Amino acid sequence: MSTNGLSANGEQLSASAPGADAGKVIELREIDVFYGRVNALSKVSLEVRQGEIVALIGSNGAGKTTTLRTISGLISPRSGEVRLFGNSVRGLGAEHIARLGVGHAPEGRRLFSRMTVRENLDMGAYSRNDRTGIRTDLERVFTLFPRLRERASQLAGSLSGGEQQMVAIGRALMSAPKVLLLDEPSLGLAPILVDAIFEVIREINSKGTTILLIEQNALLALKTASRGYVLETGSVALSGPSAELIASPDIQRAYLGM
Amino acid sequence: MRELLVSLLRSEPAQGQRTKGTSVFWILSGTASGLLLMGWLLPWFVNAYSAGVGYSAQDVTVSPPTGVGTVLIYILAVTMVVLVVSPLAEVLVPRLRGRRFGRTADRIRLIAALAGLALTAVIWLLVSVIQEEPLFGSMGPGTFTDSAVWLTMYGYALAALVYGARPWVVGRQTLAFGVAVLPFGLFLPLMFHQAPDFLLWAAGSLAIYMLLALGLNVVVGFAGLLDLGYAAFFAIGAYACASFASPIHSIHLPLWVLIFVGAAIASTFGAILGAPTLRLRGDYLAIVTLGFGEIIPDLATNNVFNLTGGPNGISGIDQPKWGFLDFGASPRWYYWSLLLVSIAVVVLFRNIERSRVGRAWVALREDEVAAASTGINTTTTKLLAFAIGASVSGLAGAFYGSLVSIVSPDDFSFSVSIAVLSIIVLGGIGNIVGVILGSFILTFVIFWVLPNMNQWSTTLSQTVHVPALANIDFTSYTYIIYGIALILMMLLRPGGLLPSRARRIELESTVEGESLAAVQGVA
Ligand SMILES: Nc1ncnc2c1ncn2[C@@H]1O[C@H](COP(=O)(O)OP(=O)(O)OP(=O)(O)O)[C@@H](O)[C@H]1O
Ligand SMILES: [Mg+2]
Repeated sequence: MSTNGLSANGEQLSASAPGADAGKVIELREIDVFYGRVNALSKVSLEVRQGEIVALIGSNGAGKTTTLRTISGLISPRSGEVRLFGNSVRGLGAEHIARLGVGHAPEGRRLFSRMTVRENLDMGAYSRNDRTGIRTDLERVFTLFPRLRERASQLAGSLSGGEQQMVAIGRALMSAPKVLLLDEPSLGLAPILVDAIFEVIREINSKGTTILLIEQNALLALKTASRGYVLETGSVALSGPSAELIASPDIQRAYLGM
Repeated sequence: MRELLVSLLRSEPAQGQRTKGTSVFWILSGTASGLLLMGWLLPWFVNAYSAGVGYSAQDVTVSPPTGVGTVLIYILAVTMVVLVVSPLAEVLVPRLRGRRFGRTADRIRLIAALAGLALTAVIWLLVSVIQEEPLFGSMGPGTFTDSAVWLTMYGYALAALVYGARPWVVGRQTLAFGVAVLPFGLFLPLMFHQAPDFLLWAAGSLAIYMLLALGLNVVVGFAGLLDLGYAAFFAIGAYACASFASPIHSIHLPLWVLIFVGAAIASTFGAILGAPTLRLRGDYLAIVTLGFGEIIPDLATNNVFNLTGGPNGISGIDQPKWGFLDFGASPRWYYWSLLLVSIAVVVLFRNIERSRVGRAWVALREDEVAAASTGINTTTTKLLAFAIGASVSGLAGAFYGSLVSIVSPDDFSFSVSIAVLSIIVLGGIGNIVGVILGSFILTFVIFWVLPNMNQWSTTLSQTVHVPALANIDFTSYTYIIYGIALILMMLLRPGGLLPSRARRIELESTVEGESLAAVQGVA
């Protein structure tokens, strides 16, 4: 089975994924992103539909983090268009995009390390005003990660790596996002914790939150996601339903180590 | 750390820590002891340095050494020793610390304080109301003036409060601090009614420096943006106020209008000057603000748009008046209005610190990228810090102008920026109470210790027969002394006297946030 149902070089050959006509939550149209003179992304197109889990895989420096940063408005593309919930977000800063309902658990967690766990979670709800909603979501985060309830008054910087990752996801959830961007949630975690985190990711998704996920463990990512994109040196090399990506010999060789 | 947080959150400290002290507790009991000592030493002090604080030797009354009342004085002395020495013992001797001795000791101290308070009142009534001076006889330099009585009584009252309500003081530090310090502030003009110059000088310079330090603390402490040119905002505030209350443009606004106008103008400039620095961080930001600090007084010297009066500045600034109420020569009212404004600023800043904006500043200081992706508008949040920080310099400028009645470019040199920065470094960057403490200490050093150093060294040189000492001109060493003090501070207590919570944590860890610009590949 070669590229049947898969797209190569960014060309979508098959649109057979379930819910194809559901609303597009994220849509990147041929974006080019530069860091100064470094061209990090070229002509990347990608879409994430309502209720999906989509995986973004690729080797180090392929531009995965850059893609998420562009979606959440931390960087603006030089050309191309970012559309969220059907509208172009050209010129909107990160704070506006966060308010649109995009939660970002960034690479390296980036907690407010001198704040407590509880304060970090509260910061996640910074742009919300509905007190009851915030309380419900806090309760939800504590139910998803019971560990955080115990550690609520501990300084985030002094947590273990896994606990920090929980805070990062929890903080992103506290903004009641419609779509959640997760950048390597399993980085540096013990295998058992990785499974737990992914269990939580599925659970979050089952409650209706759309998820775009970066993950080094390509197999795990593709098993969790319904669709996947493979980035290679700044452009989309392959994309398609997870099952087909897993079955693709190219992917197996390059990312699954088979 | 956790202990402190817990004690801040509870009205009653946790069991077993009932009598354990906290920094505020020790500061207050130290202040009480200090006031008691001052109360007793003041007359002697006035004798020795009659020029120093605006007293004259006539304020000290002396009468023959006979009388039963002296017994009262002795009892008073014992009371004082109990109150002044025992907390020191508790700090110095670890075995005396904690609950074993604490509660009993506190009861004894409470009784001692109340007894002292009562005795002081009795003596004061006998001496000045019933005019029974012969009853006491001469206490030589120990005879007290009205100010001394006030200081002593306040010291006793404070001691009674901290020892009598120790768990409460420990449990609600900020409130306790306010309750203890506020009456002192209010009564000060009454305590020192014989020394109006002292009042005007002390209140004026202290409050102006304190307002500036509080303002700079918003920028440096809360938002974490190092500003080395804060004097620029002070200059703008002072010039704005001077322009609206002097003959230069024939505008004469009353003080209360002036402070709002000054604050508005200064904060506008704060935002304008802040804008180009938004992408900068740390050392780059410091250098750009340094530039501002140099440019603004320079513009004033060059009399831009004929607004600033050139190198001579603006003179003939109005005496302070609140519209209908002309203070004229009454420093008491000047003092009270300064106090009112300062308290308003402190309360306001405390609320801002705990508000959404305050939390946003903390987040920004911690991690700009994460802050942006939680929905914080980094641009407006930073600009707000600059604007709020600068607005206070408008208030300070209004009071400064009416105090000195002339503003000129020289008043806003780099050294002013450094002095204000030193205050917050000394007191504790980011901690309002620390900043207030810092401004007390630094104003004391700048306006009293440094100017008097020459006189002291002359006296010392005569005492110890080292003539070389008399020839040192300490006023030319101001900055060296300053520098040494700051270096010592950084080495011994890098978070300042009262470090803010963030600072305390920072000193224990080495976590560093990354700037948004770095993530975007621009810086
Ligand atoms: N702040 C920056 N400034 C300059 N270049 C950058 C910056 N951030 C990333 N890059 C470059 O952009 C390219 C893509 O980086 P990106 O972080 O998106 O990779 P990634 O796919 O997330 O890699 P990894 O799996 O290692 O996290 C890399 O070549 C990287 O060196
Ligand atoms: Mg990455």
